[in-house]
Amino acid sequence: MTNSYVSSKGVSRKGGTFARRNLILAAPLLPLLAYLGFFFFWPMFAVVVDSLKNNDHQWSLINFTTIAQKPYSTAFKNSILLGALSALFASIPGAIFAYVIEVRGSEKLKSLVTSLSGVLANTGGVPLAFMFIATFGAQGSAIKILKALGIDLYSGGFTLFSFSGIVFVYLYFQIPLMVIIFSPALHSVRNEWRDAAKNLGATPKKFWTTIGIPLLFPSFAASFLLLFASGFAAYATARAMTVGNIALVPLVIGTLVDGNVQVDQANVGKSLAVGMVLISALAMIPYLIIQRRARRWQQ
Amino acid sequence: MAAMRSRFSFALPLTLAVASLFIFLPFGSSAEFSFRSYSQDGKLMHSFAPYRWIVEQPEFLSHLLLSLKIALFAVIFTAILVVPSVAWLHLKAQLFRPLVELITLLPLVIPVVALSIGVQTAFPDWLQSTEYELPLMYVILALPFTFRILDNGLQAIPLKTISEAARGLGANWFATIFYVIAPVMRRAVAGAFFLTFALSLGEFTLTSLLHWDTFPTWVTSVSQQNIIGAIALSVFSLTFAFLVVFFAGLSSSRSKKRMDATE
Amino acid sequence: MKSGTLELEGISRRFGQTVALDNLNLTIGAGELVALLGPSGCGKTTALRIVAGLERSDAGTVALKGRDVTNLSAHLRNMGMVFQSYSLFPNLSAVENVEFGLKMRKVERASRRKTALELLELVGLDTQSRRFPHQLSGGQQQRVALARALAIQPEVLLLDEPLSALDAQVRTNLREEIRRLQISLGTTTLFVTHDQEEAMAISDRVGVMSNGRLEQIDIPDILYNNPASTFVANFVGTMNHIPAIASEDAVDIFGKKIRIKNPDGKIGKVSALVRPESIEVSRVQGNGQAKIVTRSFLGASSQIVCQLPDGVIIQALMPSHASGELHPGEEVNLNISIHEVLISHV
Repeated sequence: MTNSYVSSKGVSRKGGTFARRNLILAAPLLPLLAYLGFFFFWPMFAVVVDSLKNNDHQWSLINFTTIAQKPYSTAFKNSILLGALSALFASIPGAIFAYVIEVRGSEKLKSLVTSLSGVLANTGGVPLAFMFIATFGAQGSAIKILKALGIDLYSGGFTLFSFSGIVFVYLYFQIPLMVIIFSPALHSVRNEWRDAAKNLGATPKKFWTTIGIPLLFPSFAASFLLLFASGFAAYATARAMTVGNIALVPLVIGTLVDGNVQVDQANVGKSLAVGMVLISALAMIPYLIIQRRARRWQQ
Repeated sequence: MAAMRSRFSFALPLTLAVASLFIFLPFGSSAEFSFRSYSQDGKLMHSFAPYRWIVEQPEFLSHLLLSLKIALFAVIFTAILVVPSVAWLHLKAQLFRPLVELITLLPLVIPVVALSIGVQTAFPDWLQSTEYELPLMYVILALPFTFRILDNGLQAIPLKTISEAARGLGANWFATIFYVIAPVMRRAVAGAFFLTFALSLGEFTLTSLLHWDTFPTWVTSVSQQNIIGAIALSVFSLTFAFLVVFFAGLSSSRSKKRMDATE
Repeated sequence: MKSGTLELEGISRRFGQTVALDNLNLTIGAGELVALLGPSGCGKTTALRIVAGLERSDAGTVALKGRDVTNLSAHLRNMGMVFQSYSLFPNLSAVENVEFGLKMRKVERASRRKTALELLELVGLDTQSRRFPHQLSGGQQQRVALARALAIQPEVLLLDEPLSALDAQVRTNLREEIRRLQISLGTTTLFVTHDQEEAMAISDRVGVMSNGRLEQIDIPDILYNNPASTFVANFVGTMNHIPAIASEDAVDIFGKKIRIKNPDGKIGKVSALVRPESIEVSRVQGNGQAKIVTRSFLGASSQIVCQLPDGVIIQALMPSHASGELHPGEEVNLNISIHEVLISHV
């Protein structure tokens, strides 16, 4: 690639003007990039740097070796499991629900579902946790109804504040999230493909196995990854619902930040954060790549 | 397809029934819970007492106003920073669009908890002692979504072409922005503002970890003394959120119908 | 599998209050290419989809080679269909798309691959066999779609506005290709379009539809020269509406008495329907019957647009060598060179 280009005037210009022209075009974007640099990249950079320092402010991997052991490793295991399970139990019902709405629903129903899912998917944290306490807590309405029907969940040692309880509560925002992110993929399965497949001799089952599912699988996998990251990193709900009995990485970081707990290493919280970022990135980056590629045929 | 339809025609009603149960059971239960109060002799009654109690709390108004203020500033910062940048991208700097889009997706990759640690570690004291650090960060949190909304909104419009047409007809830059660019971006901008506002009002993680006390975090502290009150608050905010989204959806479909009719 | 006759009898369909098809009767002979031509909403696509089995009719029967297929499911009808656009399966390559129908019929792999490649060669795309739909141009995609439909050796080929989404040049080339293939394979074909030039150019017969009804079905020549109704007359080709006075069986146009083809006894003001090529324009000294507005050179012919004193616009089409002396603004006289015209009442 030569440095010069022929301008619209037909005169060849040297590389300098070309670069300068691009710089002028990029200049108004600098505020946004600078903003991101200061408010986003710098904090993350600082965390990474500090995570690699020990109590004497020297470079060291001690924080990372610490978090590789208990109790931190347990927290990671729990969080990863929580992300995976909530993603698993949300992705399939969510996909089915999105499919039924997409294929059978009227336009009005579809927009209602979209706005409702939007509200519920962002219903994190506090309101959600309290809602479930109101429903399934010891004094909850659903428990009372079930008692009236003769079923006493609490007699068997059931508690909402267990691991399975949290997974269950997470479904409440994970399923709507699945509906939101998976619906566009379903929407883009064109009627022409179904008609053409039928015309060429495919039963509905054959259509789905040869065309539909292969087409949708990447988006499904991507959605699963997003749900995993969402369940893994969620803080508010876990905070409002647990009573310190379950170790989850976001919660551990939270207690360290509060400064109430003394730890051997001052920067353990930072390395925990770095660990979180790595795991989250491991899920989110494939998600973004798949989504970009899928958009090609979804046009 | 007609045969298949009749075979599975129960699918939609069944799914809706299950979904309704899923949504309305917890919601209904919380609503019922939120009206509970106990009389002097321990009997259960239902009334608006918990809601009255909430509103009577002195911190209710102060925290609500604080959250509203923060949300408002988040919108203002977004308006100043993000909207012009996206407009510029589409107008003159199409070349950089993919790159910028990629960068704006990065906040999605980082968990908010980790970002909170970063903020606590990196930001200078003067910044950490002002509540304005929250709206400044909310812009980042909302960026993947606001960028996407604005970008999508502008994709559908030949911004470059109409601006050049305006300029060719004699409009200076100010007039072009005011009469041509701004009106055409209106809906996308409204969507972006709405999302930022909603996100800011409900944001808990960053606020709590940075030890600020806004409306969402106040609700948590309320739960320590009055769980019914906390639940009433949750029901209140959920209902409010849903109503806003519902009416926003109604008005956008109404204006869309108007637009379609004029074509 | 030799193509057979396709018979539609009494096909009716309504969507809510709208009548899409009203007692449609149509017979297509073996190896014939029949076009259904009409404006949007006339029911042509609905009719096609009913033949394909993708939609059900409220009444009437569809028979293929004498066999009633009305209630036969779409995937068993053995008809090949080409859609307007976007019908190629995006996750399959071109050759995989083409062999899809054969795969559904459980033809074994090597054999179906061979057939698919042969068909791709037939449509000139054998070098693109491994490409995916999003890597192909619109015209290429439609050719693959055509190959895909032909791969199953259908008894009937159904084309739903296959060229509408393509560029003009691609459209003209592809329609010739479709016709060539259809003739060489002898496939009975039903072709739906709103483009009358396209329909007239390649069809054995053309059926003009309006509001769910078949107005006229005939060979292109007859449709053009002997339109059965004013709708057909206006839809096919260009038609001038010349104000004239009608008596019992003749109209007076530009001073000439011309016989009415569709007399209905009413006298008075009418519009005479005259094709541009039936009008001769000649210069006059002084005031003429009309004044020339524009002259467009179209190659062998030229289009001359004139305006009558009362403002009515007349289009004439004349050989260029006979109209070279005509210029905008000149006074001219018009002469109708045919002996009978259709009239419509204003």
